[in-house]
Amino acid sequence: MAAAGDGERLLLTQRLKAAVHYTVGCLCQEVEEDKDIGFSKQSIAAISEITFRQCETFARDLEMFARHAKRSTINTEDVKLLARRSSSLLKYITQKSDELASSNLEQKEKKKKKSSAAKGERTPGEKEAAVTENEDSNMS
Amino acid sequence: MADRRARRRPGLRSSGRHTAQAAAQTGSNPGNDSNSRRRTLGQRRLRVFPDPDNDTPRVMLKRVIQTQPQVSPLKPRISNHEGTEEASPELPSKRVSSMGELQLPDLAAEDTFVTVFHLNKKRKKVSISEFERAADKRLFQNQAQSTLDNTTLFRSLRMSVGSLMAPDTVEKRGLLRRPRNRKAIDMEAFEGGVEQNMLKSNAQNYLVDLQSASGIRTTMMTSDAEIVLNNTELFVQPQLNERSQNKLSALGPQLSHSKTPAQRSKISDAAQDTAGPEGLVSGVGTDEGRTQRHSENSGLDQEHIDRMAPVSPGTPANQREDQQDGSQQSNPVEQVSVHEEEVAGSVCRLSSSLSSRSSSKYLGSPVTLNYSSMSLREVVSQIIEDLEVSDSEEEMINTVNGVEQEKLFREAAEHGASAGYSEHLEKELAEEAELQITAAQDSRDKTDTAPSAGEGLAEGSDGPHVSPGAEHETAKGVGAGSLDRHSDALSSSEKSGMNPLEEDDEQDVLEDQAIMLDLDDPEEEPAEDESEHPESQEVSMKTPAFVRAAAHNPLLSAPQDEKPAAPKSLVQLLKPKQVPGRSGTSQRKPREPQIARSLIKEVFSYFVKMPVTREAFKIVEKCSEKYFKQLSSDLEAYTSHAGRKTVEMADVEMLMRRQGLVTDKMPLNVLIERHLPLEYRKLLIPVAVSGNKVIP
Repeated sequence: MAAAGDGERLLLTQRLKAAVHYTVGCLCQEVEEDKDIGFSKQSIAAISEITFRQCETFARDLEMFARHAKRSTINTEDVKLLARRSSSLLKYITQKSDELASSNLEQKEKKKKKSSAAKGERTPGEKEAAVTENEDSNMS
Repeated sequence: MADRRARRRPGLRSSGRHTAQAAAQTGSNPGNDSNSRRRTLGQRRLRVFPDPDNDTPRVMLKRVIQTQPQVSPLKPRISNHEGTEEASPELPSKRVSSMGELQLPDLAAEDTFVTVFHLNKKRKKVSISEFERAADKRLFQNQAQSTLDNTTLFRSLRMSVGSLMAPDTVEKRGLLRRPRNRKAIDMEAFEGGVEQNMLKSNAQNYLVDLQSASGIRTTMMTSDAEIVLNNTELFVQPQLNERSQNKLSALGPQLSHSKTPAQRSKISDAAQDTAGPEGLVSGVGTDEGRTQRHSENSGLDQEHIDRMAPVSPGTPANQREDQQDGSQQSNPVEQVSVHEEEVAGSVCRLSSSLSSRSSSKYLGSPVTLNYSSMSLREVVSQIIEDLEVSDSEEEMINTVNGVEQEKLFREAAEHGASAGYSEHLEKELAEEAELQITAAQDSRDKTDTAPSAGEGLAEGSDGPHVSPGAEHETAKGVGAGSLDRHSDALSSSEKSGMNPLEEDDEQDVLEDQAIMLDLDDPEEEPAEDESEHPESQEVSMKTPAFVRAAAHNPLLSAPQDEKPAAPKSLVQLLKPKQVPGRSGTSQRKPREPQIARSLIKEVFSYFVKMPVTREAFKIVEKCSEKYFKQLSSDLEAYTSHAGRKTVEMADVEMLMRRQGLVTDKMPLNVLIERHLPLEYRKLLIPVAVSGNKVIP
């Protein structure tokens, strides 16, 4: 079972890595067209590997932050804390989170008028979107 | 016992415990020739043991121990001594020979208790050093107590005891030496020293010191800030000159660093020291000096660092000395001039005026050399405008603050001027500006004595809305600036951004001062400030001491605005110094406590095992400062993230985890066990001891 689990995990990891690699490749291609510069395969592979490892670190830190705040859910606050080092990134994330929060509120209000259940669904979705955005910004 | 002694003696080869053996040992310790030589004194030895001259101390001691009913305390000591003696075999021998000589100081005898030891009367054959003599004295006392039956034994005992005594002696030596040195110096730099003392003592003592230090100063201090504002001719202070000369040498380096605050004062000094050339130079130099200062200050962290260190001694000294020392003036003058250039003229003038004010107060002459009829208000307004722009602005603010403070001081603001002042500043400036101001304020506060505090209060009145943070800042700055001591409400205001920790400090400080304004404001706003200015918090964190001191002083002084002009002037003098410093260096130096440069140098050199240039040290220092700033900011973020106001171990652990020191493989406890000494470890890791006790 453990072995199977590990195998599964390994498989999952590989798949994730492949996905990241693919995304990095696409991004690099865009940059190539933009800046008229070439990217070697090794560099793309290196970038994707770095990104993957950094994601792992982020996840661990995020979990640590959430636990530090005595929460069991990762919050936007945790994400902001994570991105604190890079001022521009932090600004960007804060912006996005504010937008999301405001849109969330709006939606909530709308939902309230309609139903409370709908609101609940939307909020987590937005949060995920925010996280995704953050990740994207991190990667970029 | 004999063993112990034997151990003690490095040369101890035989471990015989018996006297006979001891005798044999003596013979077998040819190596202790020195001892034997010493033994020549050993008439005492002869009595009990044969071959006293050749006996090694160890042998003799053994004999003594064996034959004489030794005092128990001695024995343990002896063993200790032996241990120490082993380290320095020669020392014990020396001791024996000259009982008085306590070589032990080197050994750092663990046993400080000096038991009644029969010391050889001959204690010192040759009192090599004074401390030895002192030790001898002590030994004599001991000796008197006991008859030196076995001089040798006793001597040997004494040796062990000597180590015990050594600590005393060492202390004595230290004590002796210091005064001695001072005497030599005091002759010339007496006045300078007095001035320095006065400066150091801060507002509290400045009155007293001033009077004591020099009558001139007191007289000079009578002038009000207004006078200071006006361009004052150089005061011819013959005494000052003398002092300045003395101080100049001493302050030279300090001045350069602490020039900013000192510069102001210096300027004032320069102004005061009308000594023709000096005064003129000061007048001109102030502008130049200010700019210089500014550049200097803004430029180098070192300056801050230097300033930090010398600030307290230097600024006060500088302030005093500057005022009095024409020579110093040149330095500050230059700095001042430089500073001016950089900072809006008003700022410089302001600072200089402030400094001069303080200095003038100190000297009693309105030193605003360069402040040609610039009213503080004008300057302040100018400064405020420029504040947003740059650091210089910050400095200006500081200066402005200082000026404002001064003005306020007169007006007898309600708050600790610093609080209102800082608040005011904060409002006007961005966070950074505030930080800087606080820094400057802190520096100013520190240097400024109570009078400045009063001023701060005055300012507080100006800025009623000034966030309590400002007060905190000032308080914090003061605390941080403990160097100088009290006085700077401004600094407390600066510290408004201080962390909650600091807040507590501030609050305490403020409370102590029983200045309601300060208390109320800082308490209210510390939270605000902290969140607002993490940076300032960092700064404030660094300078909790300053802030506290500042808070104390300003608070105290605030109510005493009207109090003696001297303190006011003194504070003003200090403030001007700070003001100029604020613009550049004062910001940094005043309140931010910096790690001792020597410490950084030492640690770095140790690890790098290579000679390091000064430039490299500067960079290293800057880097470490940045690193610690970032570290503290992270800590603060983590703490606030957890919704707390106090940094806990969990926060620190998280920081370490982020840094990669603590991983899943390497838990914190392992690191603790590996790197911390036992005392600290005991505090951190629960330890179970007998009796069902767990520590902590």
